[in-house]
Amino acid sequence: MPLAETTLVEAINQGLRRLLRERPEVVLFGEDIGAFGGAFKATLGLQQEFGEARVFDTPICESAIFGAAIGMATQGLRPIVELQFVDFGMTAVHQLLNNAGTMHYRTGVAVPMTVRAPCGGGICGGPFHSEELEAFFCHMPGVKVVYPAFPADARALLVSAALDPNPVIFLENKYLYRHVKEWLPADWEPIPLGVAQVCRPGSDAVVLTYGAMVHEALRAAEQVEQEGAGTVMVLDLRTLKPLDADAVLAAVAATNRVLIVHEGWRTGGFGAELAALVAERAFHLLDAPVVRLTAPDVPVPFAPELERAYRPGADTIHAALLELLDY
Amino acid sequence: MSRKQTKATPPAAARSRSAQAALPGSTLLRCMLLTQLTEERLVRLYHQGRISGGVYISRGQEAIGAATAAAGGPDDLYAPLIRDMSVHIGRGEPVLDIFRHCLGRVTGPMKGRDGNVHYGCLARGVYPMISHLGAMLPVVTGAVMARRRQGRPAVGFAYLGDGATSTGDFHEAVNFAAVFDVPVIFVIENNQFAYSTPITRQFRCRNLADRAVGYGIEGLAADGNEAVDLYRLVRGLVDQLRARPRPVLLVCDTMRMRGHGAHDDFSYVPRDLLERFTARDPLDLARARVIADGALTAAEVARLEQVCQAEVDAACQQALAEPPPDPATLTEGVYAAG
Repeated sequence: MPLAETTLVEAINQGLRRLLRERPEVVLFGEDIGAFGGAFKATLGLQQEFGEARVFDTPICESAIFGAAIGMATQGLRPIVELQFVDFGMTAVHQLLNNAGTMHYRTGVAVPMTVRAPCGGGICGGPFHSEELEAFFCHMPGVKVVYPAFPADARALLVSAALDPNPVIFLENKYLYRHVKEWLPADWEPIPLGVAQVCRPGSDAVVLTYGAMVHEALRAAEQVEQEGAGTVMVLDLRTLKPLDADAVLAAVAATNRVLIVHEGWRTGGFGAELAALVAERAFHLLDAPVVRLTAPDVPVPFAPELERAYRPGADTIHAALLELLDY
Repeated sequence: MSRKQTKATPPAAARSRSAQAALPGSTLLRCMLLTQLTEERLVRLYHQGRISGGVYISRGQEAIGAATAAAGGPDDLYAPLIRDMSVHIGRGEPVLDIFRHCLGRVTGPMKGRDGNVHYGCLARGVYPMISHLGAMLPVVTGAVMARRRQGRPAVGFAYLGDGATSTGDFHEAVNFAAVFDVPVIFVIENNQFAYSTPITRQFRCRNLADRAVGYGIEGLAADGNEAVDLYRLVRGLVDQLRARPRPVLLVCDTMRMRGHGAHDDFSYVPRDLLERFTARDPLDLARARVIADGALTAAEVARLEQVCQAEVDAACQQALAEPPPDPATLTEGVYAAG
């Protein structure tokens, strides 16, 4: 089968195109996603191909976008809405927390909607275009949270997210949009939500991570191995909620040393949840204290020098791994 | 038709049947009576300590929900708010289910997972409200958009008070509906107070209907206490919106004649304002109207009240005897299985 070099944002576009083609109940809407193709071009060409009734622009109104999606999802449509940046979703997060996330528990009626949200730093977006908010979303009952790191996973998980009967926050790391490419076949199968992936084997430590940090961790693990300091497993969680706890615990059992990496804030970050899981269920397997490497509790700074200091990277992961392996 | 002529028409049963088709008065009155009697009983249950949390009643606003609920068709979608029990009843919610719900019974429409004013039935097109004011307005808008895509000629009824007109969600939803020509009637119940805050602290415009101009839509101001007139107005409006889909602001002037909740003595309400609206109590107006229109005789009104009271009594007794939810089910159903 011929392979095509595919960026993550192109893979998202392929996933959306497949959903629009195969599922007449799928509609896409958001700000600038129509003829313009979206701020990051994730919806490029989709309005032209599927028409304005199914792919359309809205006013700037995140709460009305979420609210309308909830209304549509409860009436037989399968809306996929785009936040231009995840940061802007916080003006309307009450719709997800209180309306979408509670609907099935209260009424037994499903809300099959997906929110696509570009997130994360590394592009000098400053405090309001770089936020990494997965911990907020994971805190909400009734909502699922997916965060792919590779193009193949992105398109395959997006289909599963959209076909899930629940509200799903689908996080797309915008640094990865064009910095990560894979050679992909034209035919592909969906990947179920809630399944983590070992993307590098190793037996001396594991990095539990997701999103852009998967790629930083892979570089750091490669360097550690080349230096002969040990072999490091990298576990890409892919779905944060529901979390693949079995995969996490198996990785801890296989390595006995745990480094957790994310580019979101430290206090109440998703890493705290992972550390708690390991402490509660795999404490007896640990040869060293669990280590978290995260952004500090600081607004995302703009200047490249500051942002580099703010965001974990292969260099800081490498240093943390050496310390962990030396414990 | 004058009152005299109506009264002269022969046999009571035949007259009732034909009058029923032409005059909604008795349907509206029944809905309003059931609402008032149910709420009175709920307040009593609350003060007896048999209802947990709180009780929030609509006394004084029953006509708005009764009239707008009756004006809709089978495809129409509703998102009633705090003081809209008459919408629920008007759209077919059994009084029994309201008691089950308020008592937190597992047999209720929310199975004890939410209480007081937060209930609905999506199978009947009635969305259960969340507490965040304005939050349901875009939901109804999107739901109507979806139904119309499926070829169903839906119109939406989205309810809010004067207080919720100050929220960002109100602006976003009305503008969204305007941009997409979604036929939603935003029913603003101007009941003079948002909890303890008077309307002078809520808005500066002469009438909230004036806000429609800014959205490029029509705004109507109506008497929210005259059920029959309001029904006729809204019935015509629904026909217009089906023919030419677009949102409308419908501002209904009324008054919350009790506290925010059963816990609230509403001592902050000026007595002269209360007296002014008491003189136009929607239940009194509806009773007088059905008799004046010849839809019912005074004796039939009295009989209707007895029947409604008996229904409320029976529903209350049955709901009280039904079981609460099993704590073992606490974590069930957070997610839809798929």
